[in-house]
This record gives sequence, structure tokens and C-alpha cells, in this order.
Amino acid sequence: MRRLTSLLRVGLRNNFGLSLLRFRLFKQKKDLWMVPVLLLAAAGIVSLLYGYFRLIGGMYDMLRPLGQEQALPAFAILMGQFLILVFGLYYIMSAFYFSKDLEMLIPLPFKPFEVILSKFTVVLVNEYLTMAPLVLPMFIYFGVLSRARGPYWINALIVYLLLPIIPLGLVSVLVVGLMRIVNVSRKKDILIIVGSLFLIVFGLGFQVLINRSAGVNPDPQAIVNFLASPDSLLKQIGSAFPPSIWAGQALAGGFSGSGLINLAVLLAVSLALFYLILFLAEKLFYRGLIGLGEVSGRKRSLSALEMSHRMSSGRRPVRAIFWREWRVMNRTPIFLLNGILTAFLIPLIFVLMATVGSGRGDASQIFRMLSSSSNPTLVVLSAACFLLICGCLNGTSSSSFSREGGQFWISKVIPVAPGEQVAAKFLHSYLVALLGILTAMVVLIVVLRLRAAACAAALVLALAGGVALTVMGMIIDLARPLLQWTNPMKAIKQNLNVVFALLAELGVLAVIGYGLNFLSKAGVSGNGLVLIALAVLVLLSWASYQFLQRFAERRYREIEV
Amino acid sequence: MIELNHVSKSYNKGKIKAVDDLTLTVKPGEIFGFLGPNGAGKTTTIKLIVGLLKPDAGTIRVNGFDTQREPLKCKAVTTYVPDYPAVYERLTGLEYLNFIGDVYGVPKNDRLERTRKWLEIFELSQAVSNPIQSYSHGMKQKIVLTAALLPAPEVMVLDEPMVGLDPRASHQLKELMREHCSQGKTLFFSTHIMEVAEKLCDRIGIIHNGRLAACGTMDELKKLDKAEQSLEGIFLELTEK
Repeated sequence: MRRLTSLLRVGLRNNFGLSLLRFRLFKQKKDLWMVPVLLLAAAGIVSLLYGYFRLIGGMYDMLRPLGQEQALPAFAILMGQFLILVFGLYYIMSAFYFSKDLEMLIPLPFKPFEVILSKFTVVLVNEYLTMAPLVLPMFIYFGVLSRARGPYWINALIVYLLLPIIPLGLVSVLVVGLMRIVNVSRKKDILIIVGSLFLIVFGLGFQVLINRSAGVNPDPQAIVNFLASPDSLLKQIGSAFPPSIWAGQALAGGFSGSGLINLAVLLAVSLALFYLILFLAEKLFYRGLIGLGEVSGRKRSLSALEMSHRMSSGRRPVRAIFWREWRVMNRTPIFLLNGILTAFLIPLIFVLMATVGSGRGDASQIFRMLSSSSNPTLVVLSAACFLLICGCLNGTSSSSFSREGGQFWISKVIPVAPGEQVAAKFLHSYLVALLGILTAMVVLIVVLRLRAAACAAALVLALAGGVALTVMGMIIDLARPLLQWTNPMKAIKQNLNVVFALLAELGVLAVIGYGLNFLSKAGVSGNGLVLIALAVLVLLSWASYQFLQRFAERRYREIEV
Repeated sequence: MIELNHVSKSYNKGKIKAVDDLTLTVKPGEIFGFLGPNGAGKTTTIKLIVGLLKPDAGTIRVNGFDTQREPLKCKAVTTYVPDYPAVYERLTGLEYLNFIGDVYGVPKNDRLERTRKWLEIFELSQAVSNPIQSYSHGMKQKIVLTAALLPAPEVMVLDEPMVGLDPRASHQLKELMREHCSQGKTLFFSTHIMEVAEKLCDRIGIIHNGRLAACGTMDELKKLDKAEQSLEGIFLELTEK
């Protein structure tokens, strides 16, 4: 048991970089600048939380007279569990199979289930943090609003602790099974990508199911019946994923019979799934893991002619670096999934939400407004914003430097000016953004049937804005590249730079949006607004690229490896 | 030619002095061996020379170019082999060599000729079209060495290049180091293998606690010690405290 505890402790410390952070903060005094940045981020979070609390309060006041207020925590539970189902896939796959410390753990005297347990715990703690902003405010404020007593708070704590286990357990079982199959093939990378896509589609299917089940039956009698039962909305929301109903009713019931029974069911199923993972780990984990990182190559010398064909006749450095970026990104499954595939997936997710959703109060409403609006300027600007979000929010630019990891020494020693190196990286990130923008363009034309002129105007705006957003992501990553990682997931999915860049990019779009709104109220014409938006984006792109060039010259000298 | 002039580098806000007022010159055509216990400052010195680290004080010149003022000119004439061969695992060996050829501007004919020669010598010809991910540690070390030789640099800087190499590859590396310097080029390398340093190097430097404890030819080093012992004996005595 002591062995296991120390394994868990080391796993958690390693994952959160606690020892390294303590060393850098207190010994090297290096990352002290992070303290005000984190405080600033905390200030941002506080303002977001304020909005969330107000939303909860408003919905509570609306649902309370109907006796349906129990649906509120159930909704947060379901959303939290959905979040885990989607993010859990990446986390579990990288923690179980792609972290480099596994090479060190396997020879140690631990059983497979112990290694999995340590990895599962790390992911579980990550998920508690992922869910916290969504679920905790709801549990707390709902408790306060409904003047809940002791049993609610105790059940809320237990439910929160149990919440990620079932979705994470389901993902773990799927991933362990998938990797066992993948590891028999020589084309492991391709199978990993195909398998992951399958799991993502599964997750999206689940989302569709939720959307469908949330639709209200228009029959008046059914509505009367619906409102008569205090937990009917809760049941309807949770019908897509029964554990959400158990969790919701455990919260609503407190220490009553129904509350305790639902809590017991949630606990029993969580424990059963937890033991199933450990059982499967013992049977399948090492067979899926050992040899996964090994790539067998065929032994064959190239003939003089083949060698001459394959030997490049001298590309310019920018082109050579562009191809290096392209190949490394697309041949690393985790990078590929988060880069190009995400650029393709985001527009498709929007399509799913628009076409399969219930049609009320969700993204589909925005889409319908977008396609049927009588205000052509609003249509163009919203479409451009949609294209930009689809193209630039995939983390390719904001992990440009972090992805190099331990190989950054090569970029430091080659005789290529930092300006040229970032130009190549920019071209790569912009190309990925372009793929996302073009996919989203297809959505605008085919699904929303936007007029050609509006599409063209939106595309021009997006192409100009895409430069600025791509460059911003690169600047943020260059300011603090995460070069010491053992697991490629850390460079892109668990890289704070990607989150900072996302927030900054959304912030820029919001500021431009507010500015245009102000100008519109001041009487500027529609065409004028589009032209101003274009001018601002072009100027921003030019200025940010100039800054990136100068910043790169400085940072490439400063970054020590 | 490599010239270090009063170079210092410290970590942890000056608390740990990794390199302390180091002055050293490696002449053209010279094989310079750099010895020292673990943590003495060997790798830090090497990283300072190739521009991976920035000196706190002092100047470093490579073939007459200042590494801080004219970094690109220094890099164009220098190649470096790190102590751990961290390379792009998802590229094939040939793609990596092509990349290095492109960024150093090596003409195609030279590339073909040199690649063929070094791949043959390092017995990598059969693996060059496979991803580097599939290579053993020694093979990765060899592909990094091949890449470092590809531009035919004026200055080569190698950090413990023998680690991970089998005896045959080790022997070949020593041969090519001699060949490199016989053309009037400079080679700076660190090692823990006294025998290699003793037999191969024109001059040897011993660094201890960031300071140059001794520097000279083998004969000059022997004169420092009355017993005229082996390099190992001199090394142990100089780095005792």
C-alpha cells in the first residue's frame, strides 16, 4: 500500500509539475511573473463566475414556480459529464499510453493495475479541475438559493467526487480495448487516429442524443403532465445519460429514501466500473502498451538512383522548416488530432448542432438568425467571426514553439535567422487555419446557403483576421514556450499558452465587435463597417507580424536549452 | 578556431557558477579534448560555444565571429552534436539529413557524396529511409553525427560523442575526427574516456568547478605533475578538491 501511495504521489507531482514549479518559483525565482498573470486570470474568472451566478439565479427564479428547479444541478452534472467524455479521451489516451514515464514505470515492481490506478488518479484530479468551473458554482449557489440543509451538502460533495468516474471509466474501457487492437498492427499511428475519431464521433453522437432528448413534446396534455411532476425536467435532461439522473436525484433527495437509493446506485456503478478498469488493466494494459512506441523499419538500402531522387536539391530554409513542421505535426497522432483534424471538426460540430439540435436556445438559433437576417452587414461580420473561430481556435499556432520540445536545440544551432524560422512556422499555422476557414466556408455555403457576395466578403475578412490571430497565438507561445515535456499532449492540450491564446483571440474579436457596434450606432453605413473591419484586421495583422519578427530575434537569443 | 575570453555563466541568479572566467583558445587543425568531473561545466561551456546558452560575461569567437554579435555567421561554420541525440523522431533519417542540408545550404552533389560516405561508414544505409523513431540509441547518435558532418563545417563541437556508440563506430568516429582536423579544421569535444583524450587530442583542457584547472598538450600536462603519471592520474589529482 505504501508503494502504491508513493506511486500516486509521484504521478500527481509529476503531472502538475509541482516540484519543478516550486524549484522555478522559490529557488530559481524564474516564473515569478506568472503570479500576477495568474491573478489577472483569476480576476477574469471571477467576472465570468459573477455572470454564471446571475444566470443560475435567473433560471432558478424561472423554474422554481414550475417546481422544476431540480433540473438546474442535473443540467450542470450532464454538461460536466459530457465535458469529461470528450476531454477524457485525450487525457486517458495520453496518460495511459503516450507518457514517457511509462518506460520507467514498467520495469519497476508494480502490477499493471497499479500503474493504471496511478495514471487514472492523475486524470481524475485533472477532471475535477476541468469540471469545477461548471459544476461547483451550480452546486453551491443552488444549495444557497434552495436553503439546503446538511444532507444536500454531504450528498453534493459525494456526487462531485463520483461524477467523473463513470464517464472516465467508460472512456478508459474503450481506450484500453482500442489500444489492445491497435498494438497488433504495424500501422499503429493510423489506427490510433482512426480509433480516436471513432470515439469523438461517439461523443458527438451522445451530444446529438442530448439535444434530441431535450426537445419538449408539443402536446398540451403532455406539457401539463410534464409540469405536474417535480423532477420531469431533470429526468428528461438526464435521459441521455442515466448516471446524470442518479446524481441529480441523489442531490435532490438528500437523506430521504430516493436520495440515498440514487446515491447508492451511483456509488455502486462507479465502483463497479472502477474495478472493471483495474481488471481490464491487469489483463490488457501491458499487451496494448508494450511495444506501442516501437516502430519497426524495413532494412533496405536505397539504390544510387533512389537516393538521388530523394535527396533534396536544396530548398530554401523557410521551405525546409515549413516541411519539417508539417511532417512532425501530421505524423504525431496527438498533434494531428489537435491540429488539422480539429480545424476540420469544429465546423462539423457546428453543423451537427445546427441541423440535429432541438432548434431552441442553442447554436442552431444563431445559425438561423445568421442565414435569415435582413441585415447583410451583420451576416457578413458574423460569418467572418465564425470562419475565424473555426480556423484559428485549434492550438496549432499557440503551440508552434512548445511542440519542438527537446528538439528546440536544433532550431537554436542552425544558421537560419529567427525571423525566417518564425516565417516558416507562421506559414504552417496559417495553412492549418486556412483549412479550417475553408471547411467552415463550405458549411456556410452548403448548410446555411449564404449568398455568394456575403461569403466572399466574410472570407476576405477571415483571411485578413486569420493572420493576426495566428500571429497572436505564436507570440503567446514564444513568450513562454513549454519545451520540457515527456508527453506530446502537454505541448498542445495541456499547454496553458493554448488557453491564453484562445482567450486573447476571443478578446480581440470581442473588442472589434464592440467597436463596430459603437460605429454602427454612430451612423456608419454597413459597407463602411465591413471596410473598417477589414482595415483594422489588415493593420492588426501587419503590426502583429512585424512585432513577431522582432520578438523572435530577441526570444531566440534569450531562450536557453 | 574557437576563442573564449573571460567567459562566465551562472545559474540560479548567480548562485551557481557553472563557468567561471574561462579563457581558452582552440587553434585551426586542432583536436581539443575537454575533460572534467560531472557538473564541472563541460556541457555549459559547449552550449555557450554553439549559442544554446548566453554568457553572463566575456566573449566567444568562432572563426573570428562573435557568437553574440554575429550568431548566424558562427552557426554557418559550426555544427554540434549534443550528449543526448534528441532529434525529430517522426522524420526519416534521410528527411532529417535533407533538412540539415537545406538549412546549411549544402549543394546536392556534395550532399549525395557525403551522405553516401558517412551512411556507409556508420552502417546506416539500410535504415536511412526509416523513421528515426525506429532507431536504437547508437543509431540516433550516428545520424546526428552524419548530419553534423554533412555541411563539412569549419568547426565541430561534440559533447561526449562516444556515448552509446559500439566499438566499431567509436573507432570510425575517432578516424573521422582526425580526418576533419587534418584539413585544418577545428574540433572541440568533451569526454570522460581518458584513453581517447590521451591518444586523440592535440591539446587537453581540464575544467573543475567552472574554472580551467589545466590546459595543454599531453606532455605539458605531465610536466605539471612530478610523478609524470597517466592522464587519469593527473585528472584525479587536479579534480580532487
